[in-house]
Amino acid sequence: MLAALLSTLVLALSAQAATLKLQSPKLVVTDSMGTQLRSDSFSLSKQVAEAVELGAKDILKMTFQVLDQETGNGVQPHQTFLRFYDEKTNEEGIQPVRVTPGGKAKFELNLSKPPLSLPPTPNGDPLKVSLIIGTSQYDPISVELFDLVLPKSQPAPENPLESTFHVLPEIHHTFRADNKMPPQPISFAFIGIVLAPWAILLSLWSQVVPKPSRLFSPSILPFVASLGAFEGLLFWYWVDLKLGQVLLYGFMLSLPTFFAGKTALASIGSQRLGRK
Amino acid sequence: MFPLKKLIILAVGLFGLTSAKSSTGNSVLVVVEAAQKDDFSIFFDGMRDQGYELTFRGPKEEAPLLIEYDEPKFAHVIVLASDTKNFAKDITPQSLISLTHLKTNLILGLSTKQTPLTSLASEFGLIPPPPGTPLISYFPKREEPSTLIPITPKVQDSAVLQSRNNHPIWFSGSPHALGNNPLLVPILRAPVESFASEVDGGSPDAIVDSADKGGEGFWAGSQLGVVTGFQTLDGARVTWVGGVDVFSDEYIQKQSSKRRGVQSGNRQFAHDVVAWTFQESLVLRIDKVEHHRVNTTEPRDQYTIKDQLEFNAYISKFNPKNRKWEPFSALKDLQLEFTMLDPHIRTSLPAVSGTPGKYSANFRAPDRHGVFKFVVDYKRKGWTALHSSTTVAVVPPRHDGYPRFLSAAWPYYAGAISTSVGFFLFSAFWLAGEVRESWKRPGKASKIE
Repeated sequence: MLAALLSTLVLALSAQAATLKLQSPKLVVTDSMGTQLRSDSFSLSKQVAEAVELGAKDILKMTFQVLDQETGNGVQPHQTFLRFYDEKTNEEGIQPVRVTPGGKAKFELNLSKPPLSLPPTPNGDPLKVSLIIGTSQYDPISVELFDLVLPKSQPAPENPLESTFHVLPEIHHTFRADNKMPPQPISFAFIGIVLAPWAILLSLWSQVVPKPSRLFSPSILPFVASLGAFEGLLFWYWVDLKLGQVLLYGFMLSLPTFFAGKTALASIGSQRLGRK
Repeated sequence: MFPLKKLIILAVGLFGLTSAKSSTGNSVLVVVEAAQKDDFSIFFDGMRDQGYELTFRGPKEEAPLLIEYDEPKFAHVIVLASDTKNFAKDITPQSLISLTHLKTNLILGLSTKQTPLTSLASEFGLIPPPPGTPLISYFPKREEPSTLIPITPKVQDSAVLQSRNNHPIWFSGSPHALGNNPLLVPILRAPVESFASEVDGGSPDAIVDSADKGGEGFWAGSQLGVVTGFQTLDGARVTWVGGVDVFSDEYIQKQSSKRRGVQSGNRQFAHDVVAWTFQESLVLRIDKVEHHRVNTTEPRDQYTIKDQLEFNAYISKFNPKNRKWEPFSALKDLQLEFTMLDPHIRTSLPAVSGTPGKYSANFRAPDRHGVFKFVVDYKRKGWTALHSSTTVAVVPPRHDGYPRFLSAAWPYYAGAISTSVGFFLFSAFWLAGEVRESWKRPGKASKIE
């Protein structure tokens, strides 16, 4: 019980413990030849206003020293991390920084050899760089330092099945174009040509004036009617009927037609011979 | 009147709560060391209140078996014995995998020790850190040791933790990095400032060295999971818990060191994890699908190319409160595919307002004939995967199915009809015509000659 009490007391003391500060924090951007492109200081209290931009082969160097706020002695924290975070893709990379027992820290980001922990930047969005320092007996520090703009990179590798867990792009079928029709006036013109012989026939008939005088005689009319019925049946077939129906109706029609035809032809024969 | 009404609602709600069960069964096997059983009494009581029947078994006890005569004995299995290295003969990674094939849901505990489950976890796409490296965080400043971490879940991160739970969840145990397997459902992620490190601090240099090695040498940050779900292709759910203490009485009753009196979020968290893993929440099913031509109601075995088709799906969601499947219209991103080898058409399948649970799409069959399938394949993290496939044939038009009376054919129709009319007129005139003398004589004369 006492031990537990003591331990909580120790913990409580440690939780109240001193704060850390950074001494001479500095960031330097150089190109691959070693020419200094930018040199800036950063602090825990204020974010660097201007985003740090790195080219494909540039080097970012950061140096600082971790000191005890009160004693001024160097401290080697258990956890000294730089966090690179892309807010849009929610990708995060964490890179530990080596700190000497005297508290001196040096971090180098060489983009010609980027560390694996650096998150991919496929859209070129700025990464938020924050410093995380945590160690027992001191207040932890987590501060956003600056925005880092990196050259565009390949997107993070994705599982081939990942896309099936999201809305897939719609697919529309491309239909073949409909058959083209000739313009209707042309069709009408050809109907005219097809029906033109009727004009000739009718004009010639008007000279001859044939008279179907026996049309209504009981021996002729049934045959003419049944021939008409056949024509009508075929027209009906074209418009509506199926083949089976046509064969059935045609068979039913053929018997009366046969006998009507026999009667009609016999009557014509007898008329032609009997007239004499 | 009003309080009475409220009371009734409350009573009904309570009744619903007590009789709540999973959609797949309520028998649960808990594998736990007998000595630790009492550490989880609140968790177990909570599950009993939910309507689950718990059976306990020590990790080295021989009975009851997980699978008997190829049939799973329990609908759900919880392995809380996360430190145990040697299990009874029938609790092996292989048998746990076969359980998932038999649609048994699992909650499996991991710890900082190397156990058979650790190697099984890597088969599920989790990448555990080396043994003996628990999750550590110095944030926020607190009295508790750095290995006991309050985690506030980000609600937008996980669909599983549905109940608004802003109380921190106390966690201690081992984190795991997540592979890119889409079947993984992160439930609780590690805090941004946390990292895995050896017990008793470990040296700062060792952390840098392991990170320099690259690959999976370094576990840190919010990309790590501490409790992660996995939904198998068979529909079973498996939840990996980085430290089973998250369910313990101690953590459930623990109060925040900063704000006295604020209960931890562990009880609600345990409830949510059980509800998801044991198929209570986010459970969907397709009741039936229909297909027919637009403006008809009868389904057909085959459709003609370019037919206008209508496809309907009826979807229900399991309601654990009353243990009923209820029509569910809230899916916004359902899609329908019309597939012959590849999808020829993929279109959204929106909910029909007015008919709960009905989703309907309307499209024109492609002008390719063959054997097509209506496919609904809905997979979203955390939700039951919905799959439905209906085969139909799409055929070219029959001989009399083509368009008719086209203007291009009018001259032909006119020709045929005019021939028919001509034949009929000729027959009529010939049969009914007069026999004229002037015609007859020469004929007769020639005949006589």
